[in-house]
Order: sequence, then C-alpha cells, then structure tokens
Amino acid sequence: MSHDILICDDELHILRAVEFKLKRAGYSVRCAEDGGQAWEAFQARRPDMLITDLQMPVMNGFELIERVRQADEGKPPLPIMMLTAKGYEMACREVAEQWGIQAILAKPFSPREVVEQVQMALAEHVS
Amino acid sequence: MNRCGLPFWLAGCSLALSLAAAVSWLAQPWLGPLSPQLAALLYLGTTALALFAVTTICVRWRRQLAQGKHAIQSLLTRPDHDFLDEKPPVIPLAADHPLRDVINNLAERYHSLASRLQDSEDARAALQVQLRKKAADHELASLVLASLNEPVLVVDEYGELVQANPSAERLFNFNAGEAYRRAIRNIPRCEQLLDLLNDTQRRKTHTTRQEEIQLPGPDGSPRWHEVTTCSFTSAAAKEAETLAASESGVLATMQPPQGAVVVLRDITSQKAAQQRYAEFVSAVSHEMKTPLASIKAYVELLVDGDAEDEETREEFLNIINSQTDRLHRLIDNVLNLARIESGVVEIHKVSQPLNSILIEAYETVKPAAEAKNITLVSALSPLYLPVLVDHDQLLQAAINLLSNAVKYTPEGGTVTLRSRNLDGEVQFEVEDTGVGLSPENCRRIFDRFYRVKKDTHMASGTGLGLSLAKTIIEDMHGGRISVRSQLGEGSTFTVTLPGAAELG
Repeated sequence: MSHDILICDDELHILRAVEFKLKRAGYSVRCAEDGGQAWEAFQARRPDMLITDLQMPVMNGFELIERVRQADEGKPPLPIMMLTAKGYEMACREVAEQWGIQAILAKPFSPREVVEQVQMALAEHVS
Repeated sequence: MNRCGLPFWLAGCSLALSLAAAVSWLAQPWLGPLSPQLAALLYLGTTALALFAVTTICVRWRRQLAQGKHAIQSLLTRPDHDFLDEKPPVIPLAADHPLRDVINNLAERYHSLASRLQDSEDARAALQVQLRKKAADHELASLVLASLNEPVLVVDEYGELVQANPSAERLFNFNAGEAYRRAIRNIPRCEQLLDLLNDTQRRKTHTTRQEEIQLPGPDGSPRWHEVTTCSFTSAAAKEAETLAASESGVLATMQPPQGAVVVLRDITSQKAAQQRYAEFVSAVSHEMKTPLASIKAYVELLVDGDAEDEETREEFLNIINSQTDRLHRLIDNVLNLARIESGVVEIHKVSQPLNSILIEAYETVKPAAEAKNITLVSALSPLYLPVLVDHDQLLQAAINLLSNAVKYTPEGGTVTLRSRNLDGEVQFEVEDTGVGLSPENCRRIFDRFYRVKKDTHMASGTGLGLSLAKTIIEDMHGGRISVRSQLGEGSTFTVTLPGAAELG
C-alpha cells in the first residue's frame, strides 16, 4: 500500500505540480488549499507525511504543525516537509529543530528534490 | 656779550665801584681825604649800578617765569591727540631757559602717558567690540538651540546639566531652569543616557558616540531616538588642569575632564520606514518566488518527461505562460509603485472629462471580460465631469479596479462602471457580482500584497493593483477610495475625486 501524503498550499499551481510528481512516484496524495482544510483532512485521516506551505489563509503552516504535533502526542512524530518562499527572515535550521520538521525546501524548488526528500523522510520514519 | 651775563657784569661793576670807594676811604690816611663831591659821586654811581643790576635781574626772571608758565599752560591746553604724534611736542623755550629741561621732560612724560592711555583706549574699544560680538554670538547660539526640533542637552564634566533647549525640556519633561546644575542621573528619563555619557566622557580623546534608545512620546507611546553624544573640554576645565599641573610641577599630560553635548533625533518614522521597506522587500521576494516556483516546477516536469500526453504538456505550458505573465505584471506594478513613491514619475495634471478616461479603461478591460463571459456595463453620467488629473495615472487606477473586478467575478457575472457628480466632487464606481469580501478583507484589501483567498478558476493577482490604485487616487490626486462588499454578493469600489472647478 502506497504512503498517504497530505499536501497543503494556497498556490494551486504548486499544489498541482507537487501532487502530479508525487503521484507519478507512486504515492497516494491528498490536497488542501489552506491550513484549515489541511487540518480537517488530517483529522479525517492521519496521513503518513505532511507537506505544507508556511504562509496560508485561515491557518498558517506553523499553526497547522503545532496542532498536528499536539494531536500526535505520544505517537512517533509525523514526517513533515515545509515548502516556503520566505527568505532571509527565516533561519531554517532553528525552525526545523523547533518544530521537528524533516526538511524545509525554499521556493522555487525542484519537484525531483521533493520526491527525494519524501522518500528519505519516510524511510527514516519507518526505520 | 651773552645776554644773561649783563646783570652779573653790572653787579660786578657796582661791586668794583663800591670796592673803589671803600679802598679810597681806607686809603685816606695815606692819600689824604677825598673831596665830598668825589665821595658822593662814588656812592651814587655804585648804588645806581647796583639798582640797575637788580632791576634787570628781576625783569629777566619775571619774563622767564612768564615764558615757563606759558609753556606749561600750552602743554595743559594742548588737545590730547597732539600728544599722539610719534615724537613729544616741541616746547618753544630758549635754550638757556632754566625750566626748559623740566618742561621738556614733563612734555615727554605727558606724551608717553598719552600714548599708553590711547593704547588702553584702543584695547578697551577692541574688547568692547569682542564683547558685543560674543554677546551676539551667544544670543545667536541660544536662538539656534531654541529653534532646533532636536532635543539638545549639555552636561558638564561633573555630569551636571548646564544647558537644555525647549525640545529637550518637552522630551524629558523638566524645566531647564530648575534642572540647571542637577546631576543628570537624578533627572527622570535621562538615566537611559547615562551609559552612553559615561562611555563618551571617560575616553581620553574627544569622541562622538551614537546609539538608539526608546523614550515615551507626548502621548506616552514609545518613540525611537538616535542619541549622539560629543565630548568637549571647557575652557575652565583646561585652565584648572594647567594650573594644577604648574602648581604640582608635573607636566599636564592628563586629559582634562570632559563635558558632553547630547543631541537626540526622533527616528521613529525612519525606523517604521525601514521596517516597511524590509517588509516590502520580503513581500516582493515572496510574491516573485511564487510564480517562479510554478515555472521551475513545471519546466522540470516537462524536462523529466513527466507529462506523457499532449493534453498534460499543454496544461503545463499554459501554466508556465500564465505564471510568466503574472511575474511580469508584478514587476511592472512594483516598478510603477516605486516610481510613483520616489517621484520619478512626472505628474501632469490637466483638467479633462472623467468619462473619457473611464471609457478608455472600459475599452482596455473589455476583451478580458468577454473572454470570461462577463458583462461589462458602462453606466456613465451624461454630465460633463471635469477633473484635474494625470491622464495616464488615473487611467491606470481605473484599469486596475476594473480588471480586479473581472478577475474576482465568476463567469457569467456582471461588472458595472458608473460615474456621477457629487457636490463639487466627482465619483466613479466599479460594481461586480463577484465573490465578495469579508469585513476583514475590506479592511485590508488596499494593503500591499494582501490577497483574498483564490478560487481555482480565478487568475492570480499580484496583490499590488488595488494598493497602486489607492496611491494614485489618494496620494497623487487628493481623492478617496473605499469599498463596500458582502461575501458572495459582490463588491463596489468607489472613487471620489475633487472636481476641476473646485480646484480652480
């Protein structure tokens, strides 16, 4: 059974590109257009991995991750990847450590790299 | 014969005659008695000669006395400036006059005193000029200090306040007269300056230090100030140091204690501008990265051969195309905004009919509306509505409003453009039957890069179109722009401009 990946981005073209690439790589993909939708999708069914944008309407990426971490308390942490166009104002390493994020990819990103990072994160998670 | 020898000669003759008479009287025993006539003649002659000699001497002394008196008188009545010649005045007295040397010495002394007096007068006049200049300089410095918006404090080498201008009084909320000579550390609000002052004053050479601090403003809200402190050594401190050094016999190698001038500058708006600029750059880069991310992603998918069928390839290429256009629009809008704000764009306001500009905007947007099957209605006022505006800029604002309405109105909807006269002002509005805005959206819709949540079928905006329209209408033309809307029921953007007649 393929891994279920939840992607959340308010940029629909980016959502479509990542969804397309991950599906081609054999993953099962669900899409959300803002943090609120993603949270609902998460509650409906816990995915194997979350890929989220940072700046989004309704609920931003950090708020979403915080809720996911709270809901996940006691369980092995859900692998999370962040896609963001935020630049110099965000110190990636500290953010990644603080929120337990496996990878932060800066926009513009390579869909190929997204797939590689997803594979690595899921492999680590399983091991 | 010398004139002065005459009295003495006569006195001598008289003495000789008297001696002759005395000798002839004493020689009587041997020469026989003198005849009475001869004796009388001898006595009379001797007396007459003696009287003549005495009279002559008296007359001469009197004349000399008068000459001396006259000379002294002429010295006393001589105008002061006559004594300022290079040489002492020449006293017209005969070379043998007994008072000549004394009076000449007196004249020389008088001349010397007069010269010294004149030097003192000159020095006094120069000092007075200097004093007046200093007083004028001091008054000017006080005026300059008082007229400065920047608060200025002067602290002496003992850390006591010695001067403060009215701006400083207002900022630190004290009275300069009452605070005079108070230790700066005891003046409320000034304690924030202490570290900087200490740092400035303890340095061995004169120095300027700077830092930014926060102080409460007139309304109590914190305001940022740039504080510049500059140390100085007062003349009194220098003198005291030199005196102490000379008394102790040690060379004055120590730096005299230093006072400091403190100048504060309110940089709150500058800070806010820096913050806005940083946010703007961040927002622009974020907005540029978003379409760029799409372009890169889809190009890579195409390069990797992920799009296997023609339909998918065309879809990807269309996305790349639309995202390139979006990036282009964003760059144009950013440049426009920057040009307007920096004043690079020349504004040519000309009185012209508002309707003709609106028709131009209508025609520009019409193809995009038709492509989305949106009915674009022109309901312009039949009245002549003159406005004093820059044609190109107002056209840009109208196009932005219309294309925004078209962008956020679903297919089959309607966008209406209206204009009207309104008590000396003119108004136009763009009404759509689009997705509408929440109250939060309405509040923030003119913020740069603020965009409402997009619909899958709607084109992406740059987040700058409405902000640019607001800048053009409000900042450039003194008008107003507002929006009223309800979610799901469409929005109406209203622009009010001063009528050209009103502007004169």
